[in-house]
Amino acid sequence: MTAALLAADEPLVRWDWVGDHTDEITELFWEHVTLTVVAVGIGFAISMVLALVATRWRWTYEPLAGFCSVLYAIPSLALFGILVAIPFFGLGFRTAEVALVGYTLLILLRNIVAGLDGVPPEVREAADGMGYEPWRRVLRVDLPLATPAIVAGLRIATVTTVGLVTVTALVGEGGFGDLINDGLSRDFSTPIVVGTVLSVALAIAFDLLFVVIERLLTPWTRDRTPRERSSGDVVASPLASAPAPAGGRL
Amino acid sequence: MRRRHLRVGAALLALTMLGAACGDDDGDETDAGDDATAPADIPDGPAIRIGAQDFGESLILAEIYEGVLDDAGYDVGLVEVGGFRDLLFGAFETGDVNLAPDYVASQLEFLNDQAGEATSDVDETFALLEPRLEEDGLVGLTPSEAVDTNAFVVTQETSDDLDITTLSDLAENGADLTLGGPQDCESNAFCIPGLERVYGLDMASNFEPLDAGLVATSLSEGAIDVGLLFSTDGRIASEGWVLLEDDQQMLAADNVFPTLSQEVADAYGEDLTDLLDSISAELTTDELIELNKRYDVDKDDAEDIADDWRADHGFGD
Amino acid sequence: MTESLRQMWDYLSSDGAWSGRNGLPSLTWAHIRISVVAMLIASLVAVPAGVLLGHVRRGALAAVSIVNIGRAIPSFAIMALLLPFSLRYGFGLGFWPTVVALVLLAIPPIFTNTYTGVRGVPDEAVEAARGMGMRGGELVRKVEVPVAVPLIITGLRVSAVQVVATATLGALVAYRNLGTPIVTGFTSPDKGPLLAGALAVSLLALLTDGLFALAERRLVPWRSAAGRTADTGVAAEPPAPAEPAALAT
Repeated sequence: MTAALLAADEPLVRWDWVGDHTDEITELFWEHVTLTVVAVGIGFAISMVLALVATRWRWTYEPLAGFCSVLYAIPSLALFGILVAIPFFGLGFRTAEVALVGYTLLILLRNIVAGLDGVPPEVREAADGMGYEPWRRVLRVDLPLATPAIVAGLRIATVTTVGLVTVTALVGEGGFGDLINDGLSRDFSTPIVVGTVLSVALAIAFDLLFVVIERLLTPWTRDRTPRERSSGDVVASPLASAPAPAGGRL
Repeated sequence: MRRRHLRVGAALLALTMLGAACGDDDGDETDAGDDATAPADIPDGPAIRIGAQDFGESLILAEIYEGVLDDAGYDVGLVEVGGFRDLLFGAFETGDVNLAPDYVASQLEFLNDQAGEATSDVDETFALLEPRLEEDGLVGLTPSEAVDTNAFVVTQETSDDLDITTLSDLAENGADLTLGGPQDCESNAFCIPGLERVYGLDMASNFEPLDAGLVATSLSEGAIDVGLLFSTDGRIASEGWVLLEDDQQMLAADNVFPTLSQEVADAYGEDLTDLLDSISAELTTDELIELNKRYDVDKDDAEDIADDWRADHGFGD
Repeated sequence: MTESLRQMWDYLSSDGAWSGRNGLPSLTWAHIRISVVAMLIASLVAVPAGVLLGHVRRGALAAVSIVNIGRAIPSFAIMALLLPFSLRYGFGLGFWPTVVALVLLAIPPIFTNTYTGVRGVPDEAVEAARGMGMRGGELVRKVEVPVAVPLIITGLRVSAVQVVATATLGALVAYRNLGTPIVTGFTSPDKGPLLAGALAVSLLALLTDGLFALAERRLVPWRSAAGRTADTGVAAEPPAPAEPAALAT
């Protein structure tokens, strides 16, 4: 088999190309960030509402989580495909965002609910005893205490979304995914490498950002025993793991 | 269906503010040529949107059109339709596109549902095309002498092993071979349907849809046996591949020519059409090969390639 | 939408959908094949590693990090990235870039869950076993691994579903599978094959999840499906009591 088209002397990354295309790369960076932030933002808003509904009316949790689960299980490409087949959506920002938001729902919903559930009953009772109305209590007491779990969920959702955005390039909006796609269709390795490296870097950056946020918002978890510390920050929020239950991640 | 409503409903609710502001639903738009020094003699008319199909040559030609028109002062932009001729014509219909470079014979066969009317005589074929375009509110301008037809290509090895040098040979000895090409092949009159119609060769079940850019690589890697490339692809020669001869004349006059909407033609008249004609006059098949080589092998950007071509031919500032 | 559904119906009722290399059976088989291969390779790597490290009680940081890093790496990008390498070193298109990316994807959940499972065997149990004279290998085989089985299976389950779902993307690097009709359908007016492919692969993903859930129930009858939360270093915490058991899938 000859690899004549990728001659041994063809470099993996043509730096001159990178230099010539910094504008485009920057633009794609913002596109990637925007897609991610919008998706997680909307997903968070929806999940928050759903979570509050689920904690108030317990019986709704299973159906809601179940629905989100099934959604999550649908392979991303399949979900994009289905959306593209619906005339209202087709290709574009709307389609990308709907799919991206859909994938964040399960992660965020489960984490928020678990966080809220994790509030010790004694604290709730104390708050009620102090005269808090239910909704105010949720707002001023439960949610703040649920913060570690919520932030953990946001962290996972964000990192996962950054990865998914590379695929949304196929429906026309993909940030760094556009680079990867361009390289694939032209048999050109440079944009593929650049696109991959940058999207991984972005994901890690977001991850670190959330680690910092987690630390800032929950200073009381910084005091840990040596054993727990060695397991990393996961212990602080046992639900940092939360779900990658069914596949569909990419 | 409840799930879908829930999802759509929720998305709509959340996206109302974003929906309008954000992005196109079909294809990318590069910056429209905005011109502070528009010559006073450009009449008022619709903004010109040039459609590019999903392969290098189409994009380069579209960029050439855009560059030339922009310099002349027209309000022009480029739209990547994200697919092939069917999407292009869909865009013509919705008005998202009103000008595009295309190929005479292929377009005819697309519009006549592959009736097989196209011949290798460009004038004849063009004459058959014009009335059909008129039906759709479109106009075709004078075809260029530059031709780009489909090319069925095999490696020298395959050709030697199976004694295949023409498409008839392929029908006889190569019916089991794998054909790789752009997804368009399944419905393109000069691809799978054409092979069947003229050579009685059914390759539909052995077809591997690939990105246009991957076909050549797949061929050289042996992932496919027969590659559907374009006759202007420079790699055919440089790789020493065998272009299977179309001995029964399936392929036809695929000359490059501009297609535009009646509206645009009426609005801008001869000034516009003459300008486009002058581009067509400057295009040759050899040039297409060169342009494609820069795109496929050198990995240059379509815009740069177009700019250089324009400069070489006396268009542009 | 109804137009698209009708196209799907037309497609499914046609011969082309069920025969030949582009027919659903062939594509499904290719899809299953690559998923199984990826899972086997990943398990061969990740399970022993997880058992070993869990047994010697080292590498907690690795267990957590590997999942976080794994999450940050988009599989599509990896496949695309591997393609030029694969070509350069003669491995061709399609299969190899896809399977390598899938293996990388599959390893973290399997490793971390195995590690957590083995590591989480209660100290008393280990001591008791040691007291009975068990050492090293025997200890691992007879005590640690069996106790860890629930979490190991959960890890395999999470991995398997992710692999099946992500294998779809292999279509983009020319590995023909159920993703292929989806991708070509994006830019085609005929959405029939696209919807058929999307439906098929979604069913396949759900089926995979279901099969593992069944395995879980069979092998670990005393546990409910609540175990699925432990896909990363939950540090041997039992699932939070408030965590609702048994999700729909």
